[in-house]
Amino acid sequence: VLAAVFRRLGELVVVCTGVSILTFLMIRLIPGDAVQIMLGANAEVTPQQIAAMRAHLGLDQSLFVQYALWVGRALHGELGTSVWTGRPVLEEILPRVGVTAELTVLALLFAAILAIPLGCLMATARRRWSDYTIRLVSIVGITTPSFWFGIMLLYAVSVAAPDAQMLGWVSFADDPVGNLQRVILPVTALALPVLASLARVVRASMVEVMRQDYIRTARAKGLPERDVIIVHALRNALLPFLTSFGIMAGYLFGGSVVVEQVFALPGLGRLMVGAIAERNYPLVQASILLATLTFVVVNAAVDLLYMAVDPRVGRA
Amino acid sequence: MKSTAAAIGLGIALLAAATVPARAQVLEIATDQSPVGLDPQVATSFATQLVTSTIYEGLTAIDADLRVVPALASSWTVSDDGRTYRFQLRSGATFHNGRPLTPADVVASIARVRDPKTGSPYASRFTSITAVEPDGDRAVRVTLAQPSAPFLAQLAALAIIPPESVAELARHPVGTGAFRFHDWVPDTYIALERNPAYWDQGHPLLAGLKFDIVPEAATRQLGLQSGTYRMVPSLDSATAAALQGQSRVKVLSTQDLAYSLIGLNAAKPPFDKAAVREAVNLAVDRGEIVDAAYFGKAVPAGPLSPALRDWALPVSAFDCYRTDPSKARKLLQGAGLQLPVKVTLNVLGSLQQVVDVAQVVQAQMNKAGFEVTLKVQEQGKFIQDWRGGNFEAFASLNSGGPDPDDYFGRTFATGGATNVFKYSDPALDKLLSDARVSQNPGERKRLYDQAQRILACDGPVVHLAYGTLFTAVRADVQGYVPNPTRSLRGLRDVSTGP
Repeated sequence: VLAAVFRRLGELVVVCTGVSILTFLMIRLIPGDAVQIMLGANAEVTPQQIAAMRAHLGLDQSLFVQYALWVGRALHGELGTSVWTGRPVLEEILPRVGVTAELTVLALLFAAILAIPLGCLMATARRRWSDYTIRLVSIVGITTPSFWFGIMLLYAVSVAAPDAQMLGWVSFADDPVGNLQRVILPVTALALPVLASLARVVRASMVEVMRQDYIRTARAKGLPERDVIIVHALRNALLPFLTSFGIMAGYLFGGSVVVEQVFALPGLGRLMVGAIAERNYPLVQASILLATLTFVVVNAAVDLLYMAVDPRVGRA
Repeated sequence: MKSTAAAIGLGIALLAAATVPARAQVLEIATDQSPVGLDPQVATSFATQLVTSTIYEGLTAIDADLRVVPALASSWTVSDDGRTYRFQLRSGATFHNGRPLTPADVVASIARVRDPKTGSPYASRFTSITAVEPDGDRAVRVTLAQPSAPFLAQLAALAIIPPESVAELARHPVGTGAFRFHDWVPDTYIALERNPAYWDQGHPLLAGLKFDIVPEAATRQLGLQSGTYRMVPSLDSATAAALQGQSRVKVLSTQDLAYSLIGLNAAKPPFDKAAVREAVNLAVDRGEIVDAAYFGKAVPAGPLSPALRDWALPVSAFDCYRTDPSKARKLLQGAGLQLPVKVTLNVLGSLQQVVDVAQVVQAQMNKAGFEVTLKVQEQGKFIQDWRGGNFEAFASLNSGGPDPDDYFGRTFATGGATNVFKYSDPALDKLLSDARVSQNPGERKRLYDQAQRILACDGPVVHLAYGTLFTAVRADVQGYVPNPTRSLRGLRDVSTGP
């Protein structure tokens, strides 16, 4: 088990290095650099001023040197300062993490809690109308983009309850009720595609497991069908579910970029979109690194959980 | 137990009643972009100006009819040679930090804008100032190198700041305006509160302003309908149409100073030839652009916005504005060009309005002997190419100014700061410099009429259409008059309630 943990850690380092190189190159390959955008349409700037600003931001160095400098500083926990505000990027990022974390965790919980019973229902009601209905709905759910669903939810609420205060952001600490009231819609929009695809995963693996011999044995023992499903089938069917659960955490982060935009929430996703538009290199690099790190850690945790659920995995 | 709960409930209700004033309310405003900084002399984007126009004031202001009105200067006099202005400062004006406004603050504010180290985009407007000095303890004297007709209008954009706060202005503005800064949570909101010491007694009527940053147009619209937001300062035509006729919402409109345009590079073939530039004017049908890309909510554009009522010539004054594709084709052949003339049009992709306009223009130009390729660009790339003169032609949206001198001088004079077209016409240069120093309005009008005729057909900018600036407010918001400059200074006169 320890070896497996170390192997995971090694992978984590490789993935983070790879992603940091990719983001570093990608943001710099987009035409138009930070200096151009900061100066904007204001043409009363001399080429000397542009050159001085570029040197100040270190953009006059070769890409390799820029990357080496950044990695060196990052390893000391120094992720740079925002090009626009001059504040350390961590100070810009940290207040945003809470919003995105709340959305992602609530959406994941919401999806997971509903996916398991719905998946079981689909599996046991196979080829009956309830199975078909839920499957149809789930396909619609998977293919519907969160932002469209979010806007539709907003329209629906504005017609059904025109006076409800469901937009904007108040922190949970300031006003718990107001906070929950405002996250209902974004969490629903975010959770729906995840719920749909998780439910399908549960259904598929339940169908698979229900065909196994030991289920027939359990039934033959005279166990009630409920016990057969919950005690014997579900536990084994949960393995693929856990894997998708980890992947969905990453998907949700991507989704929250869009949902934060629609619902005007001050999360990490919006910060990143803004930072890319502004070519705020240090901020983009730091926030993507943070997101990658979270994603990789969550997946590593899922793999460890896997070992707990299925002892065979650790030995392999 | 029950009675305790009831008592607490009653207490909360009383507290709530006590903290909500009977009349004054905080106006929640939904806006699309988070300002980069709030220093009114450095950050000049629409997003910043929207907020700072309620916090700061200049010596003068521009009213909703684009006329110059007194602000921090209660009155002024001009010397006979038109070179010396004496501004009487408003009595009772104090900064939000409690300190009274002094002539030294005006001197320092003008000096800061002109200082190259500040990097103010307004610096070039004030290069003709030769001296600024206090005149007694309630007046300031400004001397110019030569008379400047647009000077008073330009002063409206120069916010008067307290020099002791310069270091923190980008994050924590301190002005003299009707509202003072309270707090700012980036990407979430900027809250302002009523300035109780505002010089205009009894104003503002609101308890404060809250600018909510809401990037999605649909969300702003729904928030306004549900009453979460009480004002959306600028709407696109489609949203305005959707909101019109709803009982709880009022849609206000005014002529926008911003206009859509095609820019032509006068330093590169094929647009280095005046005949080819004229051919583009003949090719486009401005009426069709207004219908197709603006839902009819715009007016065809000459070089000056019709909002500048005293200056703008009607579009009927320009011969090349009569759409005539066959004449355009003849001009191209006359210029010795092989038809079709291949042209790449860079398009500012971040504004849907511009993309829509460009597509209509492409179809129109293709009927008149051109073969246009659209290159829709991301904003950063577009600006880079624009600044570097790295384009044949581009489609964009420009914000106009309240005085013709500022726009024409900057854009079309030889070597002008935003003359990215490398356009140069000595006759036009002469007209513009004469108009700038002229003190006679009739004379200025005549000079600008001539300049407009030259620019309409020969100039490097094909002016297409001036849109409409739509503002939506809840029905109970009273007294707001939208300003074509997009300034929200008028909020000082706004109240809410039945």
